[in-house]
Formats: sequence, C-alpha cells, structure tokens
Amino acid sequence: MSYSESVEQAISNIKQQTVLMQRSLNNRKLMDALKFTSTMLTELRNPRLLPKQYYELYIQIFDSLTILSAYLVENHSNGHHLADLYELVQYAGNVVPRLYLMITVGTSYLKIPESPREEILKDMIEMCRGVQNPIRGLFLRYYLSQRTKQLLLPEDDKDSIEFNSQFIITNFIEMNKLWVRLQHQGPLRERDQRTKERKELQILVGSQLVRLSQVVDDNLKLYKIEILPILLEQIVQCRDVVCQEYLYDVICQVFPDEFHLKTLDSLLDTSLQLSTEVSVTKIILTLITRLNGYIERVQQENENRDESNNIFQRFWKHLLKLNEERPDLSIQELSGIILGIMNLSLTWYPDNIENLNRLFSLVAQKCKDFGEEKTSESESFMVDLLTAQKLEVVKDFPIYYFNLITQCESFRTLLTLQSSSSQMEVLTKIIDSFLGRLMGTKQQTRNKDGDKSQLLITSKTQLERFLAVLEPMITHKDTKKENDEGNDTISREFTLSIYQEKLTKICHFLMLSLDKSTFKTIESEIELLLMIKNVFHKGGKNIKFTYPAIITNFWRMIRKCNIYKKRIPKKQIYYDNLIKQNFKYISRCINDMFNNCGKNSVDTIYKLNLQNAALADQLSLVDISYDFFSEAFSVFEESLSDSKTQFQALIYMAQTLQKTRSLYKENYYNSLIVRTTLHGSKLLKKQDQCRAVYICSHLWWATEISSVGEEEGETTDFFREGKRVLECLQRSLRAADSRMDNVESCELMVEILNVCLYYFVHGDEQTTHVGVSYINGLIELIKNNLKSLRLEEEQRLSEIDTTKIDSDNETNTSPYNKYNYVMGLDGTYIKLGNVNNSSSANIDFKVKDMKINDMIQIPIKHFDRTCEYILNQRDIDNRFKTVVI
Amino acid sequence: MNMFFKSPIDIEILLDGEESRKHVEVPASTGSGNALRKESLPLIEDGESLKGIVTLRVREGKRVEHLGVKISVVGSIDMQKVGGVTPSSASKGSSASSNASNYSATDSKKKQVDQFLYLSYDLCPPGELQHSQSFPFAFKDLAKMYESYRGKNVDVSYYIKVTVTRKSTDISKLKRFWVYLYNDISKTPNNVTTTKTGTRKIINEYTDGGNGDKSKPKETGSTSEPQENGNEQSSDTLTSQENGVVPKPVKLDIGIDNCLHIEFEYVKSQYTLKDVIVGRIYFLLTRLRVKYMELSLITRESSGVKQNSVIIDTTSIRFEIMDGSPVKGETIPIRLFLGGYDLTPNMSCNYFTVKNYLSLVIIDEDGRRYFKQSEVVLYRTR
Repeated sequence: MSYSESVEQAISNIKQQTVLMQRSLNNRKLMDALKFTSTMLTELRNPRLLPKQYYELYIQIFDSLTILSAYLVENHSNGHHLADLYELVQYAGNVVPRLYLMITVGTSYLKIPESPREEILKDMIEMCRGVQNPIRGLFLRYYLSQRTKQLLLPEDDKDSIEFNSQFIITNFIEMNKLWVRLQHQGPLRERDQRTKERKELQILVGSQLVRLSQVVDDNLKLYKIEILPILLEQIVQCRDVVCQEYLYDVICQVFPDEFHLKTLDSLLDTSLQLSTEVSVTKIILTLITRLNGYIERVQQENENRDESNNIFQRFWKHLLKLNEERPDLSIQELSGIILGIMNLSLTWYPDNIENLNRLFSLVAQKCKDFGEEKTSESESFMVDLLTAQKLEVVKDFPIYYFNLITQCESFRTLLTLQSSSSQMEVLTKIIDSFLGRLMGTKQQTRNKDGDKSQLLITSKTQLERFLAVLEPMITHKDTKKENDEGNDTISREFTLSIYQEKLTKICHFLMLSLDKSTFKTIESEIELLLMIKNVFHKGGKNIKFTYPAIITNFWRMIRKCNIYKKRIPKKQIYYDNLIKQNFKYISRCINDMFNNCGKNSVDTIYKLNLQNAALADQLSLVDISYDFFSEAFSVFEESLSDSKTQFQALIYMAQTLQKTRSLYKENYYNSLIVRTTLHGSKLLKKQDQCRAVYICSHLWWATEISSVGEEEGETTDFFREGKRVLECLQRSLRAADSRMDNVESCELMVEILNVCLYYFVHGDEQTTHVGVSYINGLIELIKNNLKSLRLEEEQRLSEIDTTKIDSDNETNTSPYNKYNYVMGLDGTYIKLGNVNNSSSANIDFKVKDMKINDMIQIPIKHFDRTCEYILNQRDIDNRFKTVVI
Repeated sequence: MNMFFKSPIDIEILLDGEESRKHVEVPASTGSGNALRKESLPLIEDGESLKGIVTLRVREGKRVEHLGVKISVVGSIDMQKVGGVTPSSASKGSSASSNASNYSATDSKKKQVDQFLYLSYDLCPPGELQHSQSFPFAFKDLAKMYESYRGKNVDVSYYIKVTVTRKSTDISKLKRFWVYLYNDISKTPNNVTTTKTGTRKIINEYTDGGNGDKSKPKETGSTSEPQENGNEQSSDTLTSQENGVVPKPVKLDIGIDNCLHIEFEYVKSQYTLKDVIVGRIYFLLTRLRVKYMELSLITRESSGVKQNSVIIDTTSIRFEIMDGSPVKGETIPIRLFLGGYDLTPNMSCNYFTVKNYLSLVIIDEDGRRYFKQSEVVLYRTR
C-alpha cells in the first residue's frame, strides 16, 4: 500500500475510504471496514508532508477512527470481542497504520468495563516506540493521548493516579525526544525551517503537560516527588533551546501557582542548568508572573498567604548564583531579571525597600564591571529599571520614588553610573511624578485616595539624599548649548532648559513637602532652603535658571516672617533680623548668579533686584529697598547695552518705582525717578526716548494702591508734581517731533495726546499743568502732520485706483483695509488678520510686506479713536467741550 | 491418456467421515496451471488409521474384466531439480513398487526421489465387475514419517491409489490427503544455528567467544552457503531445550564498526506455528539514517546432496517494526503474531531440509539494506 502524491489526493482518499468503511460497518462487515481503515491510515505514512499538512490529515483520520471506535464498542458483545480484534489488527504489515488501529481498538476496549485497562495502556504505550520518525511519532503519541483522555484508570486511589501520571509522563518524555530530534533531521541548511516546524508542533508536546496537570490536580506531594523532578530532568537533558524555553514556560503556566511556591528551589536550580542560549529572563519572568498571580489571587480571596519561605531571599540567592555562573549574561538580560524580581519584591513585600536596595547595588556592581561601552547598549533597560514605569504593581509612583530616594542608597549609585541622557530621563520621570502629585492630576488616575500626608520630608538627611539624587540634573550641561557658547545671542538667553525648569519646580515641591512638625521654625526651613541653594550652586551656569526659584522661596520666608512679626510683637526684633538676613541671602544669590553667569543673566538679575526692592519697600525697609534699586541701576548702566532691553528695563523700573511708598524720605525716591527719566531721555532711539519719558511722567503722579488702603479722593498725600509731568510730556513731544519717520512721529504724538488726556481726566489743570490749550495745540499739530501724511496717501491711492478698477470692482471694501495694523507701546507693529479676531495678531518690529498705505493708517486710525473718545467724554465731562477737534 | 477414452470404470475413494474432517487449503500443485488456485485436502494425522470405502462403478450393462483391484497408500518426496544426484539414482535404494514411475504422481514437473511409504493390498481378486461394487479399506495406525509439504523445489505428498489391473491399460485413481505432524517441544529438530549472509552489508556479530573477525564485515554473494556458527548461546539454547527447561532467549549483540551497534533479543528460539514472536531491539549506537526496520521470516528450503544442494528462500512474512531513525538508547519492541500466517514448520530428512530464519533488516535513507538472520525453529503443535 502506498500513500497519495499530494495532500489533496490524500484528503480525498481518506474521505473515500471513510465512506467505504462506514458502508462496511453498516453491513456489519468489520473485516472490510478494517481493510479500508488501514488503507486510509497508509496516508499517514507519507514522509513528504509538512507538519501542517500532516495535521490536516490527522484531523480527518481522527474523526474517521472515532466512527470505527464507536462501532467497536457497540459490537463488543456480539461477535467481535475486542481482545481478539486487538490481536487481529496487529497483523498489519506497516507499523504506523498498525499502531493507529491498535490504539483505536485498544482504547475502545478500555471502554468495556471488565477490560484489563492497565495492561492495555502499558502495551499501547510500549508499542508506540516502533515509530521513531519525529512527526509521525509525535502525532501517533498525540493520538494515544487524545484517545486515552477519559479512559485512564479511575482516579479513586493513589496508585491509579500515580499510574496515570506515569503513563502521561512516559508519553510526554517520548514525545519530547521526538520533538527535539526533529531539529536534527534533514540537511543542515534547513535548520531554520526545522525550528519553524517544531514551533508548529510544540503544542502537541505541551498538551501532555496540560493533561498531566489535570491528572495531578492538587496532589502536591505527587507533583513534587514524582513528577516535577522527571520533567525538569527531561528539560535539562535534552539540551535544546526551543524545548527548554517552551517547556519551562508550559510547566510554569499549567501547574498551580502554589506548586511553584513549594517547588521554587528546584525550578530555580533547573533554570541554571539550561542551555546558555535560553533566555533566562523570559523564564524567570514567567515564574515571577505566576508567583505574583498567587499573591493577587490570595488577596482577592482573602486567604492566608503562604509565608513559609522568603521568596525574595530565594530569588536573591538565585540571582547571585546566576551572576556568578553566567558572567556572560548581558546587562539587558540581567536588568530584565532584576526588574522581574523587583516586581516580585514589590508584590510580596511592598514595604521592603531594602530588597530593592540590594538589587540596585547588584546592578550597579554589574555596570561597573561592564564599563561604559557595554552599558550604553542597555540604556533603555536601565531606565526601565530605575523608573519602574513598566511595573504595574507600583500604584503610587511618587511614594515609590520618594521611598527609593530617601531609603535606597544604591538607587543613587546606580543612577550616577548611567549616561547623562538616561539620568535625565529617569530624573524627569521622577520629578514629573512628584509634580503630578502636587498638581493632583496623575494622582487620580492611579490611586483614588491620595494620602498626601505620607509624602513629607521629615529629616535633613532625607533632603540631602533627595538633592544627591538630583545632583546629576543640577550639574547637567546641555551639550548643544556648550557648542555655541561662542556667539552669544539674545535668543539664546531666552532658551529654557527643560531640566532646569524641572529643578525649579522640584525646589518648590521640596519646600512644600517639609514636614511642619519637624521643621517648626522658619529658621529651620531657611536652613533647608540654604541646603537646596548650596546644592543648586553646583550647577554653575545653571543657577541662572534655578536660583530664581530659591529666591522666590526666600521671599516666601520673608513674607512669613512679616506675618509672624505682626502676630508676635515680642519677637519683632528677632523677625526683623531674620528678614534682613533673608535679604542678604538673596543678595548673595544674585551675586552668585552674576558671578557665574555674567552677561547671560543680567536681565534676570536686573528684574530680581527690582522685585526685591519692591518687596523691601512693601515691608518699609527703605535702605534695603534703595540698595536693591541702586543695584538695579548699576546693572542697567554697566551691563544692559541693547537699546531695546534698555527701554524695557526702564519701563520695568518705572513701573516698580511708581508703586513704591516708603522711599520718600531721604529723597531716595526723587533721586531714583530723576535718574530713571534721565536714562529714558538718553535712550538711543528717539521713539524710545519719547515713550520712556512720557511713561516716566507717571513717576510724578502716584496713583492709588488699594491693597495698602489708598483711595483716590480720600488719600491726600499722593506724591504728585504736575509741573514735572508737563516737563516730561514736552520733552517727550520734542523727541516725537524730531523723529524723521513721519508715520511714526505722528503715532508718537497721538500716544502723547493719549497720555495728556489721561492727566486731563485725572487732575485739574492747576495741578497737572496739562490744560485744554496744551491739548488743543497738540491736536492741531497732529492734524497738520496727518494732513501731510494724507496728501502722500491720496497720491498713492489715485495711482493704485487706476490700476485696480478692473480687478476689484465688486467689493466695496478698500484693498488697504485688508490688514489692520496697530502699533504697540514698544514700537512693534501688530498685524491684525481680522479686525474682529484679534487673536490672530502678529507682532514684529519690522513687517516686510507692509505697504506704506497700511502704515499711514496706523496714526490716522489711532487719532480717530482718540477723537472719538474725546467726543464721548463730552457727555460726562464738560471740560472736554473746550477741546477742539 | 484417460482423457481420450471414456474410462469404463469410475473409481471413487471416500474416507470415513470425510465431510466432517478438517481440511487444509494448499496451493494447487504447480503443474495444474493457476498458481493461485487452492485445493482443499483432508487432513490426516500421524499414526491415524486410514479408513474408507472404494466404490467401483461400471457403466450400465457393461462388464469389465480385471486382473485384480489393489489399493495402496503412498508417501513420496518429489523434486524438480536435484543437484548432482538424479532422482532415478536417488530412488534406487527405495522400495519402489514395480509400477512406480520416476515421476511424481502429483506434479508432472517434479520427479519422485524417494518413496518413503508404500503399503498396498488387494481389494479384490481378479474377476469381472458387472455392477458397481464397494470395498471398505483400512490402513491401521499408519505411521507417517514426514509432514506434507509443498515447496518450490520439493514436495512431500501423500495419496491413496486404487488400481484396477487389466490386460490392457490399468485404471487407477489417486486421492491425495494432507498430513500434519504435531510435535512436542522435546521432539523439535535439533540443529538450531544462527547464520549470516548478506546481499550488501552484513551486520557483524560481537560474539562473546570472540571469533575475532569483528573488523571486516563479510560481503558475500547472494546465495552463499550457510555457515555454521559456533555461537555459544545457540548451543546453550539447544542443551537447555533438551533438558526440558524453559528455553533461553536469543540474544545477539551485533553491529558495524562506528556506524551501528544494536542488541537484539527474541524471547525464545523455538516457536509453535501459533506462537507470538516477542523481542526487542536496543540501539547502542546508530549513525545510520534509518528509514525503517522490518522483521521478516524466511523459510529456507534446501534440497539435494550437501555439495550441490538447491537452496530456495521464501520470505513468508514481512513485518515493519520501526518507522524512522532511532537514536542511541532507544528500545524498539517486537511483537509478531505467527498464527495468522501460513508457515512451514522446520523439517529435515535425507533429501531436503526446511529451516526458518528471522531476519532483522534495517533500510537506510539511501535504500541500503543491513540485515541479520538468526534461525528459529518452528514446529506444529495441536
């Protein structure tokens, strides 16, 4: 008998033979039926079939044999004794069909109550040895396994369970051997093809272990003593990577997790004996997942968990042994395992940070051993390890990190061994988690009831550790920045380092996280703030980003002191001194910034000085305030050279000064404002001069600050000098007039007119010295100037109208209204895409595609708006009626 | 010759209780054309009396004169080819009857070489047969030396012959029957040997005695002379069996240097025809890519004088016992039921022997055959 050429033929042959077989069975011609069955089984001898094709045929034949089996069982007692048939089918000349028939008859016989089950089972499994071809053998044994599924010995006593498990194990061992052997069949160049085929067939072998787990059920003793050792021995002995990986995994998956807990020693020891090509990581992780599953299950069901042995300790020992025996293990693999063990430790012993400490120290050692080159390959793994982002067991990252930072020394050690970019990545993750907690956003997703009280810095050492961990970020140098150190541009000054930004945020976080019960006094808080400051100082140039945060915190301290001072009058002097001390610290900080960062930070330093001055003024610390103002001036004079910056700086100065109240004595105020105005009038550009001066005019016209209890009309001692105001306005107007760009000159005049109107509204003519005649004169001047502008415009309009008539006759809107421009107070052009939609404004000092006509519109429109305002004011204020438009 | 003349007398030989007697299906003799045809012959055992009735029927109204009616029982050995010895010379010494020809009574191609049984007596004195007449006959306790056998070159046949002697042509009628000899274990033929022959490769024996030619496998022609092998184990088997002790198994440790080393074992060396051959093959070393392995039972008929004997091997059973290539350490079980096959038990006489060999054949991926034969004794039991 021979098999078909193609799979299709084979299938149709099987179908045909099945039909014939069934017909014979219906006619009660068993011998014929067996003959057809045998013919059909010949198809399974075909050596050219791929595993998938073989499986297809197998399935067909399985179904057919099921029909036969049913018939056999039915007719056992009338004529066809199955014992006789069992012998009869063994005359089949070919071993494969013979064994399929034998198993079919044998298993049918097993269904008969009085059959000698044990003997039949033993005989069938023994005879299966006749098939040594891997694929055919595997399927044959799978057939045996499928057929005997419900037909092993009744599991009512220990012996039969043992027998059954032995039966399955024997079958498993043989299948495994065949499966492994498949790898070595055929030519060497088809090795990969073999591996692929083996993976397709693995389920056949794995199914045996599933069967075994069903038979063993919860019999731990049997499993531990009789079964697992044999299975593991098989896995070790076969020295085959595919097999070892797969079967170890299957063992972990199919047997109950309690079993693994109880047999952990042998499982772990075995993993050391596997082929070096086997991924240890994968194996260990599978095991850990199962063990963690145990904990979850136990917790869910509220059972008592088995604490008999320290799981972590066991894994730790294993890890050390692994590290010792396999120095070839890459850091990736090792870190994978360690991450797994971390997972285990966090699941089993969530509060034990020491476990993590040991793990980290091991990795750190490993990193040192490997040196930098090796570590660089595994950066992402180390980041995973350090951030634990992939560990689902970590429910509250801020607390996890907090504990790590404060309690786990080797976490920092390991972190410092990483590449700069990894360090930053890790630290960013950590800081973000803290900030997320602070903002209460991330918190909600992972942990419902955020118990924020836990996260408090309770000792200096904790803070020290915190800062130590952050140190890499503090001293981090942005390599890109380093490169273009040569050409120092303004734009660079505005570039913000994201890491430094994080640091400033974490600085606030730390100060907010201080445990108030430990750090009761402001002094102690200040001490910690100084600690942070000192660590930030290590950042060198970076302090320009980080110190402002420190300074801000000093301000908080000062404010606090001020509150306490008022609350406890007895300690007034103490607090006064403390405040002074704080200002000195701040001054120190600013000096540090200046010394370290030089030019790059002058703008910031200038502003910080002003803010300090303002604060000191608010606390009525006149001398301190003056000192900071004078510092600001010296920065302005010595270091601010760019005219735009100067202009901005002066505006800022004026704003700050205008709000001061304590400087009037000793004539501090007067000298400061005069100096400011003087600087304003000395600015490089006329337009800047003009604007700076008319803004400075406000310095002689104090306005109410409601927060300190001032009120317009009530308060009488406002610092106001109308004469000076007018002087300023006139100085400003001269500057505007001498601006040669007539559009801008007009615009400036309109701006001055607006300022004049402000004073006109807010004071009477006698005090402000800004009267109707002055305003009328100004309006006249503006009108004349605008006239000449319009003249220019009309000329151009007529020119364009002649060319534009054809193309634009449908729309009434003038093409010149397409864009609306206004001018900002700093001289920038603001392009409004749509009049109604101001959000689409573009701001620039120079607009390239701007037409002269559009520019002319700026002062004209501004003037129109101003006139409209005056007209509207006439209803309220009669004085406006005298203003001639 | 009888074809041309309508025989004046019909002779019918009927054994007592023939209808109910066990019959044996045997292939029709080669002379009768279709080889596949089977004939069914009544079975007579050794020592059994041969009784029956001979009926002579005369055609109605005829008279047949005769010189006497004789019945004889004959057992003969016939051969087609007799190496070196002509059948006539071989049969010289036999007690051939006067009218016994040199040609086999059953097969025209085969010549009779020996008539080991010839008994005869007259059923009826010379006279005249006028109507049908029956004569009972009996050969009491007839001893039969050999079992009936129908081989390639040799036949052992038994028949009853009734001859009506006449002045003209004698009229005779043959009735063949079949003989089984049932053996006790103690009576089995006694020369059990293991032989090795090879078409391509021979698997060497790693004998315990150490004959010393392990290194060079013998490659010989296809029909080499069977070699007696001084195998200790074999002789052990012999002695133990003679002592009536349970026979020791056949165990052999064989191989090809650096290529194959197997141990095989049959539970015993003697089997009844209904027996099961049970054994195992243990692979100690295998570098062959084995395609499959089969066990075959070879029946060797050797006839004639030793130097010029005609040896014909017939493969009676081919039975695949292993599919695929085993690795070191594998044990392959053997179980072969003999009962379902038509086998010939071992036989031995001056003119021929029938021996049975179990041959273990390994076929590798390139189609090469490696085999090892070992003799087994088959015998018939009740």
